[in-house]
Amino acid sequence: MSTLPPVGSHAPAFTLRSSREQEYQFPAATDAQAELLIFLKHDCATCLMIMPVVEHLYQTTKRSGLRVLAISQSNEDDTAAFLKQNRLTFPTALDVDLTVSDHYGFDAVPALVLTAPTGAVLGSAEGWSKLAWTQLLGEIAARCSFVPDANTILTAAIEDLPETRPGCGSRTHEPEVASRLAASRGRTLLAARRVNIPVRQDPFEFMVDRGLTDGLPVVPPTEQKVVEMLTGTSRTPSEIVAKVPPNLAAVTVEKVAINAVMAGCRPEYLPVVLTALEAACSDQFNLHGVLATTYFAGPVVVVNGPIRREIGLNCEGNVFGQGSRANATIGRALQLVVRNVGGGKPGEVDMSTLGQPGKFTCCIGEYEEASCWDPLHVERGFAQSDSTVTVFAGESPRAIRDQLSRSAGSLATSIGLALESVAHVKLHAMGEAMLVISPEHVRTFEQDNFSKLDLRNCIQQVTARPLQELLPDSVCEKGMLAASLPQSWRTPDGQPTPEARTRKVPKFARADDIIIVVAGGTAGKLSAVLGGWASGDAGSTSVTKQIVF
Amino acid sequence: MSQPNSLTILDPTDEINPLVRVLAPRPTTLTGTVGVIDISKPRGDVFCDELEILLHKQFPEVNVIRLRKPTFTKPSPRDFRLEIIRRCSGVIQALAD
Repeated sequence: MSTLPPVGSHAPAFTLRSSREQEYQFPAATDAQAELLIFLKHDCATCLMIMPVVEHLYQTTKRSGLRVLAISQSNEDDTAAFLKQNRLTFPTALDVDLTVSDHYGFDAVPALVLTAPTGAVLGSAEGWSKLAWTQLLGEIAARCSFVPDANTILTAAIEDLPETRPGCGSRTHEPEVASRLAASRGRTLLAARRVNIPVRQDPFEFMVDRGLTDGLPVVPPTEQKVVEMLTGTSRTPSEIVAKVPPNLAAVTVEKVAINAVMAGCRPEYLPVVLTALEAACSDQFNLHGVLATTYFAGPVVVVNGPIRREIGLNCEGNVFGQGSRANATIGRALQLVVRNVGGGKPGEVDMSTLGQPGKFTCCIGEYEEASCWDPLHVERGFAQSDSTVTVFAGESPRAIRDQLSRSAGSLATSIGLALESVAHVKLHAMGEAMLVISPEHVRTFEQDNFSKLDLRNCIQQVTARPLQELLPDSVCEKGMLAASLPQSWRTPDGQPTPEARTRKVPKFARADDIIIVVAGGTAGKLSAVLGGWASGDAGSTSVTKQIVF
Repeated sequence: MSQPNSLTILDPTDEINPLVRVLAPRPTTLTGTVGVIDISKPRGDVFCDELEILLHKQFPEVNVIRLRKPTFTKPSPRDFRLEIIRRCSGVIQALAD
């Protein structure tokens, strides 16, 4: 929509040059009573149509206190040819980089702005409108002492023209120009420190040397790229999104956008990255602990709702694998923010003994369309139409292979048995784990009307083992420590009571700790489990947040 | 000013120059109250028990107190850190597993 400066406001000042290096300033330091600016381009038919009127106006008023200045959006050669062919003599400046046109905010040429000598706007018009021009001529006549018959000449000049004719699109709307101008406008909003990478130095090597990457190449976060990235959210660049552990550094939308550029995100992914970061920086998720632990865990991002399809997030085949830009870069952007803003670097606060490949990036969409169950976000109280992000401190996915079960009961039992191995067979009463069920396995549950609750209960049932089997012993010194047992299960000297030793302990402390997500390709009776880290107050609990756009 | 053809990027970090953390001065002798801190990892108490026995034996004049972090998975709460400052002239912190 056009935002030509309104009447009474001050038109933006500028200095431009003509093809002959003549300098034109606006407002002009002359004794003109009014100034008329006309923005045009050489290949605009409406501009061409009104040129005789403008030339007449210039000729009849140049000694009457009106300063006419045309501003061409075309290049120097095209502008010169246009003026020559049409025998136009009024002064014409070149808006080479189109920043003046951009500041004036119109959508189409010709665009006219009539101002007082102070630059205060008296009237404006876009495209051709006989009525608007007549009004502008009235304003001009009221301020300037026209030569005799000027009005008659001008009225005659416009008489044969149509009542209205739309203009042609301003060059400021050409995609490449618009992107450059947006960067130019947005540049002033960006607060981040500018870093110059010297000539002949490779940008990637430069950023690696400064510890800014995860080891893979990154996209250099130029002003233009960051401004483009920020178009993906309505949030202001200076808004603080979260305090990022371990340094608890306040991170702004702008800083997240910079890291998202580096990760290779498209602007429409930015809201997902921002929300994932907010979730990961919550007390409940305990990112500090997730980083500092020697364990494998890293943030696993699960996206639900319409945004999955809108941004092309993979929910289907090879969902944890390579090949999808949205999946690959959203998880990576989150990790880069943690590294660059929060200071969470391997060997420093990140003390993971072995790490895991998902710490480069791990982001999946739930394949809601293939599921017979409520998706994760609906289970957690959101509407199906909401778009959400869940972060879970997880290990790498591990295969659960069952191509033989034909009944839901058998498949649930089979999955339960496979889950015994999470972390260690002798570790039970554990916290969260994420079960990723493939579409073929979902169909087996669907045919028997097996709910998520049924699946969770079955897993708990088949994994329950007498405590005695889970305690450290001479054969295997690993096991559940007596100190981790409820007080009532222990004797005064801290050992498990005989009665407690016979109690059956399921794999997970609570059935709800089994997070169930549907994802993956439609072929393959395969599912996966991602073990968690310590859950509850002393560890990390998964967090789901609605995406803020 | 950027040089011609140089590339200007935006700093992706928090722009806070890292403060060099200076270690607290190490005591040359053990006196006053020494806190033995268990960060509450499994079997940390075993190590701390042994340490306490050794301290009593080798430094009988030292008052040894035992402290325990609520959880090893999170930084010490502020009150706990203040308690250490208030009660101890030195601390020994034990990792374990």
